[in-house]
Amino acid sequence: MQEISRVTSGIPGLDQILAGGFIKGAAYIIQGQPGAGKTILSNQVAFEHAASGGRVLYVTLLSESHERLFQAMDTLAFFDREKLGNEIAYVSVFQTLRDDGLEAVVKLLRKETKRHKASLLVFDGLLNARDRAGSDFDVKTFIAEVQGQAAFVGCTVLFLASSSVTENSPEHTMVDGVIELSDTLTGVRSLREIQVRKSRGSRAIGGLHKFEITASGIQVFPRIEALVDHAVANAPALEGRVSTGITNLDALIGDGVPAGSVTLVAGPTGSGKTTLGLHFLSQSSREEPGLHFGFFETPQRLRAKARALGIALPEEGNPSLTLEWTPLADNILDQLGYALLDEVRSRRIKRLFIDGLGGFERAAAHRSRLVEFFAGLMDQLRLLGVTILASWEIREMVGADVAAPAKEISAILDNMILLRQIEEDHRLIRSISIQKMRDSDFDRTAYAMDFAKGGLKIGEPLNARHTPAHPQTPTG
Amino acid sequence: MAFILVVDDEFLLAMMLADILEDEGYKVETAPNGQVALDRIKEEQPTLIITDFMMPIMTGLELAEAVRSDESISDMPIILVSGARGGIARERPEYFQAVFDKPYKNEALLAAVERLVSPTRPS
Repeated sequence: MQEISRVTSGIPGLDQILAGGFIKGAAYIIQGQPGAGKTILSNQVAFEHAASGGRVLYVTLLSESHERLFQAMDTLAFFDREKLGNEIAYVSVFQTLRDDGLEAVVKLLRKETKRHKASLLVFDGLLNARDRAGSDFDVKTFIAEVQGQAAFVGCTVLFLASSSVTENSPEHTMVDGVIELSDTLTGVRSLREIQVRKSRGSRAIGGLHKFEITASGIQVFPRIEALVDHAVANAPALEGRVSTGITNLDALIGDGVPAGSVTLVAGPTGSGKTTLGLHFLSQSSREEPGLHFGFFETPQRLRAKARALGIALPEEGNPSLTLEWTPLADNILDQLGYALLDEVRSRRIKRLFIDGLGGFERAAAHRSRLVEFFAGLMDQLRLLGVTILASWEIREMVGADVAAPAKEISAILDNMILLRQIEEDHRLIRSISIQKMRDSDFDRTAYAMDFAKGGLKIGEPLNARHTPAHPQTPTG
Repeated sequence: MAFILVVDDEFLLAMMLADILEDEGYKVETAPNGQVALDRIKEEQPTLIITDFMMPIMTGLELAEAVRSDESISDMPIILVSGARGGIARERPEYFQAVFDKPYKNEALLAAVERLVSPTRPS
């Protein structure tokens, strides 16, 4: 089987969903409403192409003036004025189209592609060309001719279209790929998404993927659960236990949690989830670097909390522990996932505390994919040999009921520790119980738990106390 | 009446500049690229050429090279208006009598036009 020659898009994440980039000499339609990001995407591809030694012919019809375009692009990092007129030529063929028709434009494009030795042709204004065409047949002929002559010289073509080219459109049938950009409002948030709607000869990752536009240009975040990594299936299971940092908790679960496992620490606010996480991270070392990936407390507040409780964390600046705080702003779910994976990879993290999964949940525009997202993320993290504690907030302040999402998610987790607050003699008592522990025997007793000097202390079994605890706890 | 040839592939920009120059009383024609301009120059010599840089078929720089290398028209004044390549043009003063970066001020361009089409008039 012959390997298909590809041209990198130069856009982070886009090559992944295109199964390796654009096919060299193939033609693609980049479509989307005005403001969706087509111009930025095509210019970014153009400049990255030129930066890697390619040459670009960027052809416009009735669009904004080239100077206006340059002014807009000037704010983006990839734009380089030195390349204009050298590696990248912007030309307008409007007058040729108006005066002499599509056939003349095809001839002009052939000459210009050859003159500039272009290996990438961007044609902005496919719908204007369609307007000038007499029939669907003319449109198909135009695309076939432009594509055919470009392919002949190994030049890849991107046609930009400002509205949706449907599957029935003549253009759609003629090109090798269709990429759609959209910008929709979800609640008060603007949501940019990209979809490969057609991909001839490549197994693109279908469905919607988020992207963002920053001063660096476009970055695409392929859906994490769509990246099937065969290494996950073949990854060896880690042996041994990892201490939680609380000696008598370790004793309840067989000397710590299983290495490489994921433990959910569920409980209402104030029940001690973050404190348990700080205990876990206090055991971070040069051999087992730790990461706090949190959404609620800043590094300063976390350190203050640890100091107040007498939990000794590695000092600030010590590479054994990284405290990473992401505010609950307009986060993109997959972007958070990639940021976490990058931190874990680059710092060779072995102890990870995610505080909490709710930060990811809030970033999810499509909640129905959360379980698959977490499953994909945890698979990638397991592959990196990291042992994970993740907190999950239960809404009910007092009692034992675990909210439904945790039940769904618990199926993909190895272990679950439930922290509760129960009312006893008109005062709140904290308790801890192990709900699930992978491949291990564990103490199923619920214990009283409290904050003391040195952090969390596990006390006597609840059933040894005067008032019995609420007996009902969910199973994972 | 001075005859000015405006050469720009961006149709709207060429038309707007032509309108401004016509308002000043010049005779103006437009051409969408250097080759069309060169063909027209051979039919009727303009007093002045105002050209863009990046264009299909023949760029503004190539047009200037062609004009300067043809003895019959080699002293024809040329103004370059460019979005991006003003720097290159300024390195070739023998090609261009004036270089303007887009966006430019119309008054400044008109002043240069007036100076170049009426060389005997003190500026």
